[in-house]
Amino acid sequence: MNVLEIRNLTKKFDDFVAVDNMSLSVSEGEIFGFLGANGAGKSTTISMVASLLRTTKGEILLLGKNIASHGKFAKSNIGIVPQDIAIYENMTAYENVSFFAGLYGLRGALLKERTIEALEFVGLSDKGKAYPSTFSGGMKRRLNIACAIAHRPKLIIMDEPTVGIDPQSRNYILNSVRKLNEMGCTIIYTSHYMEEVEEICTRIAIVDHGKIIAEGTKEQLKAIITDAKDIWIGVKSERPSAIDNLKQIPGVISVRLEDNVVKIASKGEINNLNQIVQQLIKDQIEIRSVEEQAPNLETVFLTLTGRNLRD
Amino acid sequence: MNILIIALKEIKTTLRDKRTFTFMLLFPIILMLILGTALSNAFSSTTPVGDLKLLYKSDIADKQLTQFWQSFSQAIEKEGIVSVPIEKGVDGKQEISANHYAAYAEVGDQGIAYYGSSKKTIESNILQGMLTAFADKYNLAAAAMATDPSLAEGIIRDANDSAAKYVKETSLIADKQPGSIDYYAMAMTTMIALYASISGTLLFWVEKKRNTIVRMIASPVSKGEIFAGKVIGCTVINILLVFAVMLVSKFVFQADWGNHLGIVLVVLVTEVMLAVSLGLVLSYWKGDSARSIVMIFTQISSFIGGAYFPLGNSGESFMGFISDLSPLRWANQALTKIIYNGDLGAAWPAIGLNVGIAAACLFIAVVSMRKKEAF
Repeated sequence: MNVLEIRNLTKKFDDFVAVDNMSLSVSEGEIFGFLGANGAGKSTTISMVASLLRTTKGEILLLGKNIASHGKFAKSNIGIVPQDIAIYENMTAYENVSFFAGLYGLRGALLKERTIEALEFVGLSDKGKAYPSTFSGGMKRRLNIACAIAHRPKLIIMDEPTVGIDPQSRNYILNSVRKLNEMGCTIIYTSHYMEEVEEICTRIAIVDHGKIIAEGTKEQLKAIITDAKDIWIGVKSERPSAIDNLKQIPGVISVRLEDNVVKIASKGEINNLNQIVQQLIKDQIEIRSVEEQAPNLETVFLTLTGRNLRD
Repeated sequence: MNILIIALKEIKTTLRDKRTFTFMLLFPIILMLILGTALSNAFSSTTPVGDLKLLYKSDIADKQLTQFWQSFSQAIEKEGIVSVPIEKGVDGKQEISANHYAAYAEVGDQGIAYYGSSKKTIESNILQGMLTAFADKYNLAAAAMATDPSLAEGIIRDANDSAAKYVKETSLIADKQPGSIDYYAMAMTTMIALYASISGTLLFWVEKKRNTIVRMIASPVSKGEIFAGKVIGCTVINILLVFAVMLVSKFVFQADWGNHLGIVLVVLVTEVMLAVSLGLVLSYWKGDSARSIVMIFTQISSFIGGAYFPLGNSGESFMGFISDLSPLRWANQALTKIIYNGDLGAAWPAIGLNVGIAAACLFIAVVSMRKKEAF
């Protein structure tokens, strides 16, 4: 059963087409990854699903019902975790969750029970009386999630829920996403961290210029790219100018530097490894390791869109 | 229920905002204390009535009523009030508009018609008080004259015996003038009520800044409920803050708020409604710069509306005209008349203007909100 179905969805801002005749469906129990660079149209799409924006054309069905005519039903069954933390600093953690759950019609003992449950779920049950101004970034992110789940929505939209937090909090949140999914929630997950998407999403859509350009499981997406390879070269020292030189080598699609590893996406049919290594030596970069890999999701994204996810 | 939940949240978060509390509570109270103490010498507990001028037109045919009016004129002249008969071809009402007289009375066999100056409000109210007491007897005598002249004669005789009473009674009212702390208690309270417009500009701006507006719109609560809940909550908390300032001035500084607290409170409530609505509509119209505009507007309104110094009579000058545009001026004029003259009717122009403008602002805000995709 499809929890969400988007049919020929279009959104225009004056003459700018942010979402262009997009169609997709998300089945019950999925963790659906929604990937796209800034301005690709994913936030606009999510905003229309969450009824934050009106559609220009097309329809959105939640649990088979059109959200345009069943707005209250749709809203009651969606929980949204916005990218920017959306909580009141001068209300306690408990009051925050309780207030937002109250807007979903929860009252009295049930409201109390669900509020406590949501706080427990995100590991903040002992912080109920504390104000978010005393919280770390990770704790605020967890409270941000608690505010979206107390009413037990069928579909949870998580927009970059792990931005700017420590690895420990990130793991906690990723585990929470899995747990929510096990509890029966369908999740739409957007992130700039490709490894997160690879780790938890069961299906992924890549959005570019308001259109879905690829959709499937991570294996299916990787299979699309048969003519690409990843070359990872461990280096002792980093020098940004050396990266620019590597980009000039035939077949190189992109080069990025991460934690003393030069990550190169290259066309598969061109054998340019020797040239790459020679260029690094010429630029006096000390090489520690060289590794050729099958393309990962980031390479897929880069090859399909021509852009880095963080662009 | 959703409206109530949102309104309560609004009240709770405002109560916990120390900056708002400091500004809306401590600021007016401290200012009241400083100005009330520093300028105490500028206020007099008595009002000289020697320069009060009453223009009158006498069309009395009856001899007894003529004598009755003359005895009254003499009595008030003894108290230093100049009563001037109107010359032929002069329009009494225009003389009032031109600010030449504090009041104009048309005295005839049918009774007395009174026209007070809206510029010389204090003088006009004193004269009105005197004339009202006299006119009651006069009108009674005039009515009796038509049916039973002997009865009228008795009324006039009794009244003539105590003609000075009208003056004496009203001079008591004239004596009731605000001291400095009384004046600044009223002026600071009306000023802080106007400052509620800042809360109005912040109503949705703060939600947007915190991103909580996203959650609110995504919830199954209508935009109308969100709007109503926030506006009601903001209005209620500002009314409570204004009442708190008023109570402190009354019980700590012993400021005189008169004997008609109910109608005084209504004027203040409508002023808060006006301020919140004005701030709200400006936030839709001018976005982020609304707060600066409102700050300038409230400062100027406060200055020209008499928050920092008593204005007295606004007169015919350009500044007088500008001053009359200040919501603070409407409120202060109304409250002065209610508190010191017991003139409850003076509340209606202020209430009418406040409610009317608030309704217009809310209407524009609702239309703007419906046009926008979010808020």
